[in-house]
Amino acid sequence: MASNKKYWKSVEELKDSPIVETLSKNEFVEEIATDKFLGDKETLENSSTTRRDFLKYVGFTTAAASLAACEGPVKKSIPYVVKPNDTIPGVADWYASSMADGYDFANILVKTREGRPIQIMPNKEANGTTSARVQAAVLSLYDENLRLKEPTKNNEVIGWNQAEDEIKKALVSLKNANKPVVLLTGTLASPSTHKIIEEFVSAYPNVKHVIYDAVSENGVLEAMQAMHGKRALPNYHLDKAKTIVSFGADFLGDFHGGFEKSYINGRKPETGNMSYHVQFESNMSLTGANSDKRVVVKPSNQVYALLNLYKAITGESVSSKVTPVDAEIKKLATELKKAGSKGVVLTGLNDKNSQLVALAINKALNSEIIDTDNTLNIRQGNDAEVIQLVKDMKAGKVGGLLTYNIDPVYTLPNTADFSEGLKKVSLKVALSTDNNASVDAMEYALPTPHFLESWGDTQFDEVTYGLAQPTIQPLFNTRQFQDVLLNLTGNSTDYYEYLKTYATNTVLNGGSWNTALHNGFYKKEITNATIETNTETQESVLIANVASQLVRATKASAFELNLYTKTGLGDGKQANNPWLQEFPDPITRASWDNYLTISMADAKELDFSNPVKDNGAINGDYAKVSVNGQEVVVPVMIQPGQAKGSIGLALGFGKTFGLKEEMQVGVNAYPLYANMNNIQYNVSIEKVSGTHEFACTQVQKTIAGRHDILKVASLKEYNTVAPKDHHHGWNKPAYVSYDHQEVEANTIDIWDEHNRDMGHHFNLSIDLTSCTGCGACVIACHAENNVPVVGKKEVRVGRDMHWLRIDRYYSSEVETREDAKELGLGRGDMYKALETEAENPEVTFQPMMCQHCNHAPCETVCPVAATSHGRQGQNQMAYNRCVGTRYCANNCPYRVRRFNWFNYANNEEFDFNMNNEYGKMVLNPDVTVRSRGVMEKCSMCIQMTQATILKAKREGRAVNTDEFETACSSACTTGALVFGDINNKEDKVTALVEDKRAYNVLDYLQTKPNVIYQVKIKNTNEA
Amino acid sequence: MSHYEAPIREPLVLGDKSYHDITEDIARPIEGKANKNWYMAFYISLAAMLWGFGCIFYTVGTGIGVWGLSKNIGWAWDITNFVWWVGIGHAGTLISAVLLLFRQKWRMAINRSAEAMTIFAVFQAGLFPIIHMGRPWNGYWVLPIPNQFGSLWVNFNSPLLWDVFAISTYLSVSLVFWWTGLLPDFATIRDRAVKPFQKKIYALVSFGWSGRAKDWQRFEEVSLVLAGLATPLVLSVHTIVSFDFATSINPGWHSTIFPPYFVAGAIFSGFAMVQTLLGIMRKVTNMEAYITRMHIEYMNIVIILTGGIVAVAYATEFFIAWYTGSPYEYYTYLSIGAETGPYGWAFWSLLICNIFTPQLLWIKKIRRSFIWSFIISIVINIGMWFERFDIIAIVLSKGHLPSTWWRFEPTFVDVGIFIGTIGFFFVLFLLYARTFPVIPIAEMKTILKSSGEGYKKRREQGIPTKPTVVLAEKKIIEVDSTDKKDKK
Repeated sequence: MASNKKYWKSVEELKDSPIVETLSKNEFVEEIATDKFLGDKETLENSSTTRRDFLKYVGFTTAAASLAACEGPVKKSIPYVVKPNDTIPGVADWYASSMADGYDFANILVKTREGRPIQIMPNKEANGTTSARVQAAVLSLYDENLRLKEPTKNNEVIGWNQAEDEIKKALVSLKNANKPVVLLTGTLASPSTHKIIEEFVSAYPNVKHVIYDAVSENGVLEAMQAMHGKRALPNYHLDKAKTIVSFGADFLGDFHGGFEKSYINGRKPETGNMSYHVQFESNMSLTGANSDKRVVVKPSNQVYALLNLYKAITGESVSSKVTPVDAEIKKLATELKKAGSKGVVLTGLNDKNSQLVALAINKALNSEIIDTDNTLNIRQGNDAEVIQLVKDMKAGKVGGLLTYNIDPVYTLPNTADFSEGLKKVSLKVALSTDNNASVDAMEYALPTPHFLESWGDTQFDEVTYGLAQPTIQPLFNTRQFQDVLLNLTGNSTDYYEYLKTYATNTVLNGGSWNTALHNGFYKKEITNATIETNTETQESVLIANVASQLVRATKASAFELNLYTKTGLGDGKQANNPWLQEFPDPITRASWDNYLTISMADAKELDFSNPVKDNGAINGDYAKVSVNGQEVVVPVMIQPGQAKGSIGLALGFGKTFGLKEEMQVGVNAYPLYANMNNIQYNVSIEKVSGTHEFACTQVQKTIAGRHDILKVASLKEYNTVAPKDHHHGWNKPAYVSYDHQEVEANTIDIWDEHNRDMGHHFNLSIDLTSCTGCGACVIACHAENNVPVVGKKEVRVGRDMHWLRIDRYYSSEVETREDAKELGLGRGDMYKALETEAENPEVTFQPMMCQHCNHAPCETVCPVAATSHGRQGQNQMAYNRCVGTRYCANNCPYRVRRFNWFNYANNEEFDFNMNNEYGKMVLNPDVTVRSRGVMEKCSMCIQMTQATILKAKREGRAVNTDEFETACSSACTTGALVFGDINNKEDKVTALVEDKRAYNVLDYLQTKPNVIYQVKIKNTNEA
Repeated sequence: MSHYEAPIREPLVLGDKSYHDITEDIARPIEGKANKNWYMAFYISLAAMLWGFGCIFYTVGTGIGVWGLSKNIGWAWDITNFVWWVGIGHAGTLISAVLLLFRQKWRMAINRSAEAMTIFAVFQAGLFPIIHMGRPWNGYWVLPIPNQFGSLWVNFNSPLLWDVFAISTYLSVSLVFWWTGLLPDFATIRDRAVKPFQKKIYALVSFGWSGRAKDWQRFEEVSLVLAGLATPLVLSVHTIVSFDFATSINPGWHSTIFPPYFVAGAIFSGFAMVQTLLGIMRKVTNMEAYITRMHIEYMNIVIILTGGIVAVAYATEFFIAWYTGSPYEYYTYLSIGAETGPYGWAFWSLLICNIFTPQLLWIKKIRRSFIWSFIISIVINIGMWFERFDIIAIVLSKGHLPSTWWRFEPTFVDVGIFIGTIGFFFVLFLLYARTFPVIPIAEMKTILKSSGEGYKKRREQGIPTKPTVVLAEKKIIEVDSTDKKDKK
């Protein structure tokens, strides 16, 4: 209601007195006596300003004016004018969502601060896991360099509506001309999107949807189709397995998306049982590194060995060949038969026949481990259709091509054919989040939002329905792929409404959309309706035929190439992500590179070497690799554990289009990926001139006999021998002489203990048995703690800034000093033997970060007390106080301190995410960005523990059991990293500290770390 | 005559010098014009110094990253140079204080320059702890200055802090001691000066020395007291520098013999540097009469002694590393692991320069040869640099965790700064040689009669040493400081 009330200031105003009117005209009631001051000319003239005064005034005003002209740096800090209801500055919001970029699929939680996603963590309720790449995807969101920003046509910006209208017109005319149009996407794993595509196809019947996986798992899909009538990946419940046999299946890496969680769940020594895992492989994979027994077999022999295993298990006689590992296979067959349904065989050979043999073995074993019902949908690519498409395009049979989030120009082996064929296509539309060579080759480039800006749903397996929701306002003028398709179909609903309706009606089964969205997932009831097996398409498979086909197709040659994907870059989608480029490979510990892995024996024959240079870095020679007429020149890295006669090369590198110069590293191996087969025969290599500079974060490969750093024991020892047994103990503490008596080093002390009665006392337990070395924690730490990226040149000279690293140790032929003595080696020979890695070594990973020593060597040596001990057990680093003497780093036996050699933020020399406005949005506002000249290191995520304490305080309660987390511990898929408060007896870590496997690295130094390691237990006795 | 000296002792002053000759000889470089050699040496040193300063500015402006250091090797040339220069700075105090207390007259020819060398070397040494900091502009935080940063205070547990006190104490005491000795000589120069400006300057720096008996008495007393104060510093400074390593936990650093071993090494290197400098200086400033073969020999004897201590220390280190049987000790800087490792060349450089080469000095001919002494002294200087480099770089290159084993390669900046400090050192020393009396004039006169060659000869021939014949008429009574002191 508008107010008609009149307010008056005085009675005069109310009465309309004339004074009021006069006053309203004059500002001042009384006349200002200006004349009195200035009018008197005489006084003015008499007053004098001396020369000195004048100069003073001039001087002062000049100084003041020039000072005022000095502009301070402009910092953009925009306060909320209207604060959004759900955003409290300084408090993080978490959203449950899903990631599906065509190669990486995960149920995730997204941490946002003030509307910016800054971290991705696994949605553990949905059984989600995150890899290094999933963790790092949050940075790709802010890739200002590569993200498409505006819809363009022939590189000219056009409006969205115009673009859609034009495309629609073109589609209609193609439909009328009955010219085929292909919608080429990666694996979507999104039911609603598939439905939209179906509707799109029904509106334009000339459209065909082809799914293309850059890194194919087509072989499994075909085999599953043939044997189980279902084109999907089988699931493996490795937690229940007793015996796992893998032929080159990197199931802790990218094979079927990875099974590290269930694998490790089946390997808990405290239960007394662990699965027995044998890996037959040619490359040293993460899986092989974790196996109990690793047998090096070159790819062709893997095929024969697989067949021989089939023979040994079924007793059928099928064609095969003799391999050097047949004795091993025989033993394994007995082992597998003993395990029966608890045994499983996996193979990473990407062809239908090999996969059929593996499926047949599992069938023969009646394996419960392989699950062909609740299958995985995360690879759906159809290689035959893709190959056909390229052929059709070349033949001019394709009228239109729509692509979504793929880069065939980069990833196709026959990219020249594709590019040639593309010229004959009249309608070329790319929908993509990032710019790439393929987008560039298209007529229309339509930007789609990053998955963190999008709505969506996912269906990775048959029971978990995941939802994705935007966590930030779209950064650029983007439109979702689904929205575009709906518009082209003529459906005016937007995708959000569509998704909501779809989910509510077909999936949620009456459940609440808001709850599902809040949780990020919905577990479907398993019914026969959801898991359907189409028996009609099932072929009758005769393994005898398969075997003879296999033997015919396997053309064993002197060198065989096994293409693989690296933990860091995968298929290369995120090649412009500096975190992933700087992420050291878990096996070789090389960053910023891919390379040809070659066995030590072959390297010797072909004269390849990896000399260590005076600056600590490793160099390599170049090799020319030719496969079926395709040639690439790659640097060579000698890989212990590589099968002789085999070489490995990682896909996903060598991408150049649109990438920053620093990121254009490595060699593109896709041209060698003929028929999308990861095994290539008829390979020849020759040494060519040139020296390659690698950037490795670790040079020494073995533990050099220092077994108090890294303790490994067998399951049998663990079960039967007392850990501290004087002779055979597998977890012997360090002993020192004290008062002429041998006592445990940890029991005596020259220091005063910190008082730990009050408050929290944080400990971190690291289980070496559970750590697969996947490195998700490394990236989580990067994101949480604003760890800078320093680039290849700096990593090469040993200046990576990782607060958390994963040391990798190979075993040597002579593993302990006792062994050496038995062999009668002299001291020089002994250490040489201990320092040299074995040809086929066992591998151990050891995550290493600040040990937060209770008696920290770094604390005593800092002259300015910049690093000191916190009451909660953390060794704290006061950046502001640090003057940078680096004495602390020198005196740290674990060498975990990192020095800011340069300014890494806002520095053109380090043009990574901290040097542009978008990239900086990923920074965690709770953690300082360090300036140059100061030391930094793991803080045990003190900002997170503090936030937990404050949250409990605000809610008026004690901190809950296991409520404390660090970035690494929450990112750890396998639960190897457990963080907690040992003053809370209920916390999981409290028991772990007392566990019989618990030990401190370098306990003889009596640094008394708050980080506790659990002895690695390997199941090496069973075979 | 209490200053009787056996005639078979070699003279400390060669030639038939009179008191006036001494004054003339020593004042000549100050009053005369510099020769071409001096200018050449000066400009080369100046160029090196400026280059070094350029490298320092580059470091401070860009970051320590311009050096060759890495995450695993946090110190290398910086602290090597620091310890090397501090070590060199050791001889001065030893010569002037300890030898004074032991009444070694031969020190008089060399103590001034040795002390100058000490002070200039400590300047160079002092540079490194500052520039090796990541944030040198906050370097004053290592001083216990009452501040308003909150309750922040220095960490008295840190050996680096002890260094701050040790070095600054050493520098100030050395400076005062040096200057005290310089006062009568400055006064001599002042009195001889003809240019008013020069006179003014020397009047200023001689602190109003008048040559009264009381002045001399106080001078003697202060010298003795300062000598007493400075003597423990000879031991303390390098002991504390060695604590930087000895108190740490790195195998190869954590060693209880470091303090005596470092002190011996420091004297070893200090004397070597004195040999180097005097070898040049006696030629350049024509002091051949005052710096004799005997001086060289005496210093070489000290070098043999301290070199022997150092050799025993090396042997002990090597033995203990072997005897422990610990895999961690296997790679210390004196071990088979170091010898066979990538730093084998540095290991052998150390042994050859510091243990084997000095043994040549057992041969009297070499010991008394100027040129041989000069060469050997340079070899020892190099060897002592390698000792510190080995201790720091080899030990850090093989840390506890094998995953952290790394190597160090210097960049041009590392090299540039080191060369720069050598340049800076020589700039200071060359300026000193032109403006300071390089040999104590007054003190030299006290030993002329007892140890001067001319006087010794005359004594031997029975000629009266007092020139009574000539001076009888002039009635110049011989009163100089020597007599006065002797009467006391």
